[in-house]
Amino acid sequence: MTLPVPTTGARRRPAPGNRRWLLLRAGGVVFVLWAAATITFFALRLVPGDPAQAILGGPGSQAGPEALEQVRREYGLDQPLVVQYLTYLGRLLTGDLGQSYSLHEPVATAIGEQFGATLTLALCSLALAWALACALAAWSVRGGRVAWAIGSGLELVAAAVPHFWLATVLILFFSLTLGVLPPVSVPGPLGIVLPALTLAIPLAGFLGQVMRESLLTAMESPFVTTARARGESEVRIFWRHTLRHAAIPAVGLSGWAFGSLISGAVVVEAVFARQGLGRSLLSAVQLRDVTLVTGIVLVVALAYTVMTLLTDLADRAIDPRTRAVTQ
Amino acid sequence: MPSRRFSRSRAAVVLAAAVVLLVTACSPGGGSTSEPTGEPVTGGTLTYASGDAEPSCLDPHVGGNYPQALIATQYLESLVSLDEDGEVIPWLATEWQESDDGMAWEFTLREDVTFTDGTPFDAEAVAANIAHVQDPATASSTGYLALAKVEDVVAVDDHTVRLELSAPDSALLESLSQVWVAMESPKALERSQDENCAAPVGTGPFVVDGWERQDSVTLVRNEDYTSPPADAEGTNLPYLDSIVWRFIPDSASRYAALQSGEVQVIDNAQPDTIQSAEPDEAIEELDAPRPGAANRIELNSSKAPFDDERVREAFIRSVNVDEGIEGLFFGTAERSYSPLSSVEPLGLSLPELFTVDTDAAASLLDEAGWAERDAEGYRVKDGERLTLDFPVSTNQSIPAEQSLFEQIQADAKTAGFEIKLHPLDLSSWYGALAENDYDLVSAPYTKVGPDVLRILYHSASIEPAPSGYFANLAQVDDPAVDDLLTRASTTSNPDDRESLYEQAQRVILEGYYILPLYDQQNHFLYSSTVQGLRAMPTVSTPTFAEAWLAS
Repeated sequence: MTLPVPTTGARRRPAPGNRRWLLLRAGGVVFVLWAAATITFFALRLVPGDPAQAILGGPGSQAGPEALEQVRREYGLDQPLVVQYLTYLGRLLTGDLGQSYSLHEPVATAIGEQFGATLTLALCSLALAWALACALAAWSVRGGRVAWAIGSGLELVAAAVPHFWLATVLILFFSLTLGVLPPVSVPGPLGIVLPALTLAIPLAGFLGQVMRESLLTAMESPFVTTARARGESEVRIFWRHTLRHAAIPAVGLSGWAFGSLISGAVVVEAVFARQGLGRSLLSAVQLRDVTLVTGIVLVVALAYTVMTLLTDLADRAIDPRTRAVTQ
Repeated sequence: MPSRRFSRSRAAVVLAAAVVLLVTACSPGGGSTSEPTGEPVTGGTLTYASGDAEPSCLDPHVGGNYPQALIATQYLESLVSLDEDGEVIPWLATEWQESDDGMAWEFTLREDVTFTDGTPFDAEAVAANIAHVQDPATASSTGYLALAKVEDVVAVDDHTVRLELSAPDSALLESLSQVWVAMESPKALERSQDENCAAPVGTGPFVVDGWERQDSVTLVRNEDYTSPPADAEGTNLPYLDSIVWRFIPDSASRYAALQSGEVQVIDNAQPDTIQSAEPDEAIEELDAPRPGAANRIELNSSKAPFDDERVREAFIRSVNVDEGIEGLFFGTAERSYSPLSSVEPLGLSLPELFTVDTDAAASLLDEAGWAERDAEGYRVKDGERLTLDFPVSTNQSIPAEQSLFEQIQADAKTAGFEIKLHPLDLSSWYGALAENDYDLVSAPYTKVGPDVLRILYHSASIEPAPSGYFANLAQVDDPAVDDLLTRASTTSNPDDRESLYEQAQRVILEGYYILPLYDQQNHFLYSSTVQGLRAMPTVSTPTFAEAWLAS
């Protein structure tokens, strides 16, 4: 579970060969998934409270003893915790995510129904965040010292803004004041704008800050001086040369960003009443639906590790310093 | 305004139309009358936004909570209903007769009703439904308790059914009016529980058409609808083509969606939202307090310090609930002095028991041995501080209520009580109750009729079920109360019933076991284009059977 820390300097130790590297990473993925499943399982079972009561009771309902016993038997809750855990792991190994009691359907089906919506939201937000970060960087490069300071300040603020607050402000402005965008998710492209923007703005601030730092280094590089000497404009230098350099660490961060988008989705999907994994996760936690929570956590962990793997691969492709020396 | 008053005001409008016109012209809008204007319009789609958690099962037999009741009211119907005065009226059953010994009830059923899957509604269907609720595999909680005394169901003929009881049950009709024991197609009930949960089949005005999880349920018009309750108004019901039932958990988003017209009706409207909607001409309010128990704080009398009645009275006398409600609910909630909801005709109110008197409280505490105070000003006895644990369910107590508890905490501190508020999620909260780890607690209980008193205050309800759950959270253990409540639940004489319930409530209130707060809040806001919306006088869920959209 290591975060992909972007490195701009050369590594001292030569990177391992491609095959060994892949094997190591694959082992890491399996470990991450096992750890995620285990921690989630025990975390949810060790908090006080009776899952059987949660299965039967919502607010305002009272469960009879017969019903509770039936539920305990049906879901194996009468077994010792270790037995429940081993049973669960055994089922996982055969690829069975189990049955969600809060949804009355298999966990795999439940996740299948929700995954698309969250993936769409995460990808849209990621694209939007990149667009915002690049646009702001381009503007502040052109605008000189003051624009640079303003851009940097904006990024700092954006990166620190909490999602729920931002969502409320965006709803107030775009839905209630301007009336141009729906305050809750609706079918069609219009419905995704505000949720994606809510997730994208803090991320853009973060990406922008990372980019800005390497942008500074790149702008003082000899090739930029050469380009300036050729008479190229600052904007052209930005788009043609320095952006590429500045983007490398930010690309590496996109894997991490994807993970943070999924966690942000928990808040955003609830506020905008949008379908998705984040919202399912929230209700599953409240209902103590251990199988569903673990299932979602596993899928998110998998998506996150795959994304990290992809960015690492991209990193190896872009940056020759990270590649193994071929004999 | 409660549903019943709501409808009574309808009559008032007719009688004094001119006056009302004048008044409405001069006063801000957003009142709670929705007088149908003009002829009902057929067609259109209404979007409803619920703030409750999405039900895990659309069949209210399974589990049985309020969010299920809200949506199931649109597609399921019961044997009987209630009118505005709380009188039982015909619905799927046209007549009923209690046997002389009270051990059996015979119901005559409507003959022209078919479930939306084509299965006829008959005596066998009633038997199948009661069996379904009573089957432990169904895991019914609310419906199961409602039918606790039903021992056997006999189909006398196709359209006559006899319910045989283990003991007389004066609450049977009220229990049967609840949507948690509504009638579903026996053929549909034979499907697997998962299938039935996704699309239960009833006789109601709408049919479950689809369920997009974490998003919405789509209900479409039942083209062959024939069976509105006896008090329904209008012909050719329902008017709407379809209802989109959405789940918008965030209170601010829900209200924003109503303001922008994305949705037409929202539930769980919070006090501040209702207040800010009041001047808005385009938004109306429906206030439908839930039946059963009023929201109240229960004082756990099973252990120190509240095993001493003087300490209970001292606590109740030292907290100013009225002020808190005024400040936090902006006039949307009215103070209650009764164990029962204000919509229960048999509720007994004793306001004089709940006046604030800090001097009396202080001397009561002195008498009870809590005379000393420690450095922080809390009362102590034998070196032990007067501490009260108060687990608060954040799922059940709205933010305003949680703030009210904080004010009560501050008031009690002045008197020398240390209240420890423990905000907990539902499962942990149940856990704390099961461990008897509380001195104060507030738990809602919705049920039609005063029989809720037996569930809440009969000593049998202290006995922790294997689950650890028990409903008598004040742990009232008084043979006199038990006797009154048992007799009230078995008598066939309405006057005896009324008097027995009154006596029982008097003992509970005078024993300072509970601190009533207000009715279980149930506020809806809706667009003024929605006409003919009303709350069922049974469990106060809104019904869209008679609703239509004005253009």
